[in-house]
Amino acid sequence: MTKTKAVVVACDVVTPYGWGIDSCWNGLLSKKTAIGRLDRFPTESFLTQNAAVVPGLTYGQDESIVIKMLTPLLQKNISSIPEDAFLILATTTGEIDKLERHVLNDSTDAASSRPHKLLEKILLLCGLSSPGIVVSAACASSSIAVAQAAGMIISGENNCVMVVACDSVSEFVFAGFSSLMALDKDMAKPFDRDRNGLSLGEASGFLLLMSKSRALRENRPVIGEIAGWGLTNDANHMTGPSRDGSGLVMAIRKALKSANVSENDIGCLSAHGTGTIYNDSMEIKALETVFGNHKVPVYSIKGGTGHTLGAAGLLEIIIAFESLNKKIVPPTVNLCNVDNEASVWVSSEPLTFDASVTISTNSGFGGVNCAVVLKKG
Amino acid sequence: MIVIKGIGWITLTEYGSIIKKLQGNYTDLKSLHSHLQHESVLKYAIKNFGRFDAASKMTCCSIALALNDAGITYSEHMKHDAGILGTNNDGCLESNLAYFKDYVSCGRTIARGNLFIYTLPSTPMAEAAIYFGFQGPLLYVKFQVNQIASMLRFAGKMILCGETSKMIAVEANEEKAVCFVLGNKDNTSTVKSLSLEDVVDTIEKISDFDKILMMLNRLLRELV
Repeated sequence: MTKTKAVVVACDVVTPYGWGIDSCWNGLLSKKTAIGRLDRFPTESFLTQNAAVVPGLTYGQDESIVIKMLTPLLQKNISSIPEDAFLILATTTGEIDKLERHVLNDSTDAASSRPHKLLEKILLLCGLSSPGIVVSAACASSSIAVAQAAGMIISGENNCVMVVACDSVSEFVFAGFSSLMALDKDMAKPFDRDRNGLSLGEASGFLLLMSKSRALRENRPVIGEIAGWGLTNDANHMTGPSRDGSGLVMAIRKALKSANVSENDIGCLSAHGTGTIYNDSMEIKALETVFGNHKVPVYSIKGGTGHTLGAAGLLEIIIAFESLNKKIVPPTVNLCNVDNEASVWVSSEPLTFDASVTISTNSGFGGVNCAVVLKKG
Repeated sequence: MIVIKGIGWITLTEYGSIIKKLQGNYTDLKSLHSHLQHESVLKYAIKNFGRFDAASKMTCCSIALALNDAGITYSEHMKHDAGILGTNNDGCLESNLAYFKDYVSCGRTIARGNLFIYTLPSTPMAEAAIYFGFQGPLLYVKFQVNQIASMLRFAGKMILCGETSKMIAVEANEEKAVCFVLGNKDNTSTVKSLSLEDVVDTIEKISDFDKILMMLNRLLRELV
């Protein structure tokens, strides 16, 4: 029997580069960063005053930042979303600015910041009829959500699943990352020898997945296929990755096996590439182990968009499909002096490639790793 | 066939397991840790247990009870191909409040990293993965309906999809926890186990925690 395929039939995103996939893709190709001076809350006491935020959103009033991103984004795409789609929301902190306001001036109820309250709002916004779920797994939240969505389709549990991902730049998160000394004083410079931390970013987006048979039946444009995935845990440390990259190696190998492809089939790789010393170094070690002499081009988008936390995986999968369909490896923004160990892998310039398979990886707090294999539709 | 090999549970004052019928009382979470270590349910001390938030403490202790119930051993240097799926009603709301109130009380100038790390719903599972050495998938999922039954079904699907060979599924908050060890049925094993399908069917519509434990005990009696 032929295995059911999970294909992406619609997607959209809002990032610090602006609204839509094109603005993000073009922003990355311009090699200019969207990270800039943050004026949402006082930042003088923190390691940095920089972050990447969606232009024009007002903070601390009315609705949360993620709802301000999601409402126009989903309304614009409402006609492509079937009523029977099963919803998966991926986020780490969701409407955390509501909890901030509760503590700061008691103007909201703290309980309204719980992620399932956001899920209910999105169900209403999209007019979806069945109950959904919230998936949270640190910085791999939305790539894991996409993997689970594909699993639901391949197993026959659903034939249409929508993954919505979002996280915002908030005082709550900014102060926390600053306390962990995880922020670069200037801007994130993934794989650069002078990198010294991440820059926070925010984004919201969605992917609509269908079984290939339903997509064909409904004449949906197929953007690509979620062909396989691997999820692992380092079981090592709460905030730092395993130094040898062994957890990520296992995730990539599981993903290749589940997609029934070999490392030689991979045309390029979207790395997590946060810009922290240990993450980027761990990733390069993992790539050396898995790919050896097959020097697949690698890039990170976080020097451009900042680290969008729970939205990062979904955003990076969308950009990876763009890359696959345009046959272009985007440049790693803010890469000036490439780290010796990364020099054969990453580039500050766009490259062309010709392959039908790519892979996107994420790692996060608690040692989570996720690798997702994407194929042309 | 997917089966449930062990179930551990904790309430505000009691702890226990279903298959081995272990049961005990405790006064606070520190004493729970001591009891479980004394009874060799916890094979060694949980590092930094005092620093954990309450949900992480409940998660780790309930997993220890469930693994003990399933007869699964672990050691400090052993890693397992096991995934962990967690759920609860409120995510990490209490830890979010504790962290941000502390930050505001410090004049909004410095936050505490040790409180910040508990502001992810997946952190309790991550603490457990580090302690027990679980190297499989790790995620928090909030289900809108039939929370425990939905969690079990989801964990079972992850095994069927080949994501891992064993899943630890845990619902934990500051007041109660229940943990299940799921895996493929081993036809050569003489150890008791419950069919995932039977458990899900039995507890599908039940939300009361004590009633769920009662029904699980009844199911085991019927099996015997």
